[in-house]
Amino acid sequence: MKMKKKVSIIFWILIILFLAIQIYPVIWLFMASVKPSTELAVAPFALPKKATFDNYLSIFREGSIFRYMLNSLKITVISVLLIVFLSSTAGFALSKFKFRAAHPIYRFFTFGIMIPVQITLIPLFCFYSKMHLLNSAFSLILPQVGFALPLSVMMFYSFYDFVPNELIEAAIMDGCSTYKMFTSIVFPLAKNTVITVASMQSIFIWNDFIFGNTFISDNKAKTVALGLRDYVGAFGNVNWGMTFAAIAVTILPPMILYFALNKYVTAGMTLGSVKG
Amino acid sequence: MKGVIRDKKAFLVFLLPCLLFYLFSVFYPIEESIRLSFMKWGGLGAKKFVGFQNYIKLFQDKVFYTAFFNNLIYLAIVVCMQVLIGLLFAVLLTYIRRGATLIKTLYYVPCIITTVAVTQMFRSMYAVQPEGIINQVLKAFGLGRFATSWLTNTKTVLACVSIPEGWRYSGLYMVIFYAALISVDPEICEAARVDGANAWQTLFRVKIPMIKEVLLLVLTMALTGALRGFDIPYILTNGGPGNVSELMSTYMYKKAFGSNQFGYGSAIAVFIIVESMLVVAILNRIFTSKDEIEEKKSLRRTRRSKARS
Repeated sequence: MKMKKKVSIIFWILIILFLAIQIYPVIWLFMASVKPSTELAVAPFALPKKATFDNYLSIFREGSIFRYMLNSLKITVISVLLIVFLSSTAGFALSKFKFRAAHPIYRFFTFGIMIPVQITLIPLFCFYSKMHLLNSAFSLILPQVGFALPLSVMMFYSFYDFVPNELIEAAIMDGCSTYKMFTSIVFPLAKNTVITVASMQSIFIWNDFIFGNTFISDNKAKTVALGLRDYVGAFGNVNWGMTFAAIAVTILPPMILYFALNKYVTAGMTLGSVKG
Repeated sequence: MKGVIRDKKAFLVFLLPCLLFYLFSVFYPIEESIRLSFMKWGGLGAKKFVGFQNYIKLFQDKVFYTAFFNNLIYLAIVVCMQVLIGLLFAVLLTYIRRGATLIKTLYYVPCIITTVAVTQMFRSMYAVQPEGIINQVLKAFGLGRFATSWLTNTKTVLACVSIPEGWRYSGLYMVIFYAALISVDPEICEAARVDGANAWQTLFRVKIPMIKEVLLLVLTMALTGALRGFDIPYILTNGGPGNVSELMSTYMYKKAFGSNQFGYGSAIAVFIIVESMLVVAILNRIFTSKDEIEEKKSLRRTRRSKARS
């Protein structure tokens, strides 16, 4: 018994050590953002002696951060609505209809999970510049939604598998049309899947860097991830205080979403993967 | 054919919007990439068909080989960190009773932070002026001679651009492993214990083989993820100094958007996708044992004979 206790203590020490390494940079980030710049230069990693909100005030006064966040918000909301709409309907078609084509099409969707996003950058860039779509919200929404579809379709598909066929048959017997059945019976049942897909994808899309960096060059259209590099010159003249404050502000929305819906976010990741 | 609805029109109404969107946003660009990889094109003017010239150039390009081998080292560091730390931490968590949920929640936090933020945090940790925490800690322990300018030192830079990616996603894999480990039937572990297996044997001979499927999946995700690694190396060093930390995707990006060689860039992109698919195929091969292959074959045979009759 004594042995067991010792082992358990060792386990706890290890766990706390790993956890500390894992979240220290995040905590340090918030600490650094409230340090006056003089202190940041001398002792960047010590606890702040005197907290100041100057860094926050200066990024708010400068103001562009609001524009970046608004741009990101717009893209995230439209993309997530599209993802939920497209994948909930397609998942329903593939899971609950009696057609031979359904399974191969489902395999075709799941195949998309392993496609690297980089392959689309050059063709989409050429397509957008021809159509004068560079710097538009559309240029980001299109690939974001497209690459979110495989996983989302998979998640809706596996949820609909739990909806008993008898329920569908009963609705058909009662003379309910297929569309009515979807909007008033099946979709409301999928509430948890909707929350999972939406929360997970919002975090992904909000954080996107590669699409934004390729298709957006205009300051007015910049998203959060691109805006964060504004406070950082090429080399040297980085305003670290402002950078940290800006990072802290922009990672807050996904953090809030994550802590509020944490069960759904992680469930989505694991469900999506275990089902693979 | 497990569904019950036979309404063909409704099937198309539900399926087509999604399928068309998917084809247009994912498969049309792939087709275009493959087509462009046989062209010479500077972004303006006419595209010129050059056959396999881009690919021939690719295999004679020294920087491409550097990028390829760098990518392998990057992959080794990232996958080891993600899978080993993720698995180790998940195993540790299964042995504690209270607080596991809270610890899991906190451990996952880096996964939800944008890569730009992650990169800026690591940049200031690696920094020399003002002195970053890594050099400070080394000096505090009297190891000041190891302190270096991490991102410009050609010996350390590749590891330095790999570590943030490994750090960031170990939480994701931990959560997946943890979910798989706790879903292993406790009766099986109990039976192993009764048969005289110690804790190590139960773990390595019973629990880990039981989560083989998940392990395959995690390895697939981690490997294909590392092959396409881009954000952090791009922001941190953009392949520099010189090409010392160049990866395939940063090189592709440079060629296409830096020097307008869209055809050549596309050839690199096609190489990345082929390589990812190869990795997935090889992994599936390794993880499918002989019995399972036989099983699948016979299943296919019965299905075919059923279809005939």
